[in-house]
Amino acid sequence: MLGVGVVVLVLAAGAVTGAFAQVSPLAAMRQPPPTGIVGWVLAEQAMFYRALSGLIRAAKTDGSALWGLMGVSFIYGIFHAAGPGHGKAVISSYLVANEETWRRGIALSFASALLQALTAVVIVAVAALPLGATAKMMGETVRVIEIVSYGLIVLLGARLLWVKGRGFLRALHEVRSSSQATTVAAGHVHHTHENHARCDRHDHGHDDHALHGHGHSHDHAHTHDHNHHEDDEDSALPWGHAHGPEPEELAGPGGWRRGLSAIVAVGLRPCSGAIIVLVFALAQGLFLAGIASTFVMGLGTAITVSAIATLAVAARTAAKRVAATRAGYGTLALRGVEVGAALLVMAFGILLLTGYMASERMGMF
Amino acid sequence: MLYRFVLLILGTACALVATKRADAHPHVWVTMTEELLYAPDGSVTGVRHAWTFDDMFSAFATEGIAQKRKGEFTRDELGPLAKVNIESLKDYAYFTYARIDGKRHKDVFAEPVDYYLDYDPKETVLTLHFTLPFKTPVKAKALEVEVYDPEFFIDFGFAEKDPVRLVSAPAQCTASIAKPNDGNFPSSLRLDQAFQTSEANAGMGASFANKISVTCP
Repeated sequence: MLGVGVVVLVLAAGAVTGAFAQVSPLAAMRQPPPTGIVGWVLAEQAMFYRALSGLIRAAKTDGSALWGLMGVSFIYGIFHAAGPGHGKAVISSYLVANEETWRRGIALSFASALLQALTAVVIVAVAALPLGATAKMMGETVRVIEIVSYGLIVLLGARLLWVKGRGFLRALHEVRSSSQATTVAAGHVHHTHENHARCDRHDHGHDDHALHGHGHSHDHAHTHDHNHHEDDEDSALPWGHAHGPEPEELAGPGGWRRGLSAIVAVGLRPCSGAIIVLVFALAQGLFLAGIASTFVMGLGTAITVSAIATLAVAARTAAKRVAATRAGYGTLALRGVEVGAALLVMAFGILLLTGYMASERMGMF
Repeated sequence: MLYRFVLLILGTACALVATKRADAHPHVWVTMTEELLYAPDGSVTGVRHAWTFDDMFSAFATEGIAQKRKGEFTRDELGPLAKVNIESLKDYAYFTYARIDGKRHKDVFAEPVDYYLDYDPKETVLTLHFTLPFKTPVKAKALEVEVYDPEFFIDFGFAEKDPVRLVSAPAQCTASIAKPNDGNFPSSLRLDQAFQTSEANAGMGASFANKISVTCP
């Protein structure tokens, strides 16, 4: 039984990681001919990207070309995000590690994509308009933002790893003690305690929990369960408790603050393509059209990232169902997946920061 | 069981992380025309690149550069940008790789010379010209020069018309080109004659690189 569970979990993990479209087998080769799905995505996005310049030019004399520009920008955004890029990988890993809801995944995807569009517009508006900055200066600005953004991803991963690592150790401890024929009741106490740790993701720290005691936390956990039909069947089980907040909670001050680190870490670094399109539009005297195009691109990107994030959350939920079939090891396995995802976030950050994994390059500057 | 699972998780994570990603999305397109320069003794002294950037990147690259006449840039006005380009290209080995008699060689090229940027006001595109001299002139039966960005941030492609020229080459030398993702790969052209298909490259498989092959039997 457990063997099957592990296989399904690993398959689910594979589905999630595959969905990142980050690390295709092609990448292992030094000179990969972009073929298959990756090649197709690259070819499509290249085609749409190149169509943008013609449409911006056409919009100078023909206002109706603006509609075409928006349409192409949207499709480009969709394809662009389907190609390699660290954003969706970090978001998906974050969602898996943090046991977030798909709604929250979508909200995070949209927020980070819009922030990304916004930073591109701000950079070009500030740098190019009043300062007369050159491409080199803009490239350097992006590089500074990039370092901050990657640093944030490392911090985000480190924090997740700290929280999830403790959860994993607790589950490990619990499996060990229950295998030593400890009572089931004791196991449950451990579980609930561990759920408190997962609540740390909310605005209150772990220390608060210690002070507030069990009563508070238990209520908290139950509120989640009632709103969360997906997990009703799990609610009798100890790990069916803590979940990401409901969508209405997301708008609350604590809800946003919690996801903000992920949004900023992913969305701060603007897309080079957006900056180039904006500068081109500016040079054509159509800066506003460029801004609109950038945000529409962001919308397209958000849709793709949302889809991938939802897939990641679904895989996580499936893994949880499987884990539910076996008490101790199941929980341990889930905690293991969380730790793995947290590790991934941190690893992405480190690789990006050290330049081992280049995400974007502005050309030859 | 537990340890096996933990190993699986860690293994998956490590495998994901360890794989180097090379399939990026390009934001720069380069159309290139290449020249191989020959010395009177028949050795190749260097590669002369002419890389034309796409219009969007050209607009981006020229942003903020002072111009005397709107819509035009002189070579002098573009001088500092050309210098920046050439200096930055060093980090990427000028995206130029050489294979001499089938063997790949590193550090065969010296610092670039004779570089400048041209601006075509009609097409609104920049062209970067530079010569990459071989440290020691190459006298080989088979010379291959590849131009590509391994990380694929820049999409290099040969010009439709006259992509390769052999400058003062011995008469028996012929050049052929191979493009990546070419429907009818391998494609080849003999510069002094009509197009013809060479079987020499068959079986090599599609390559990411744009390859110029010169043979001087």
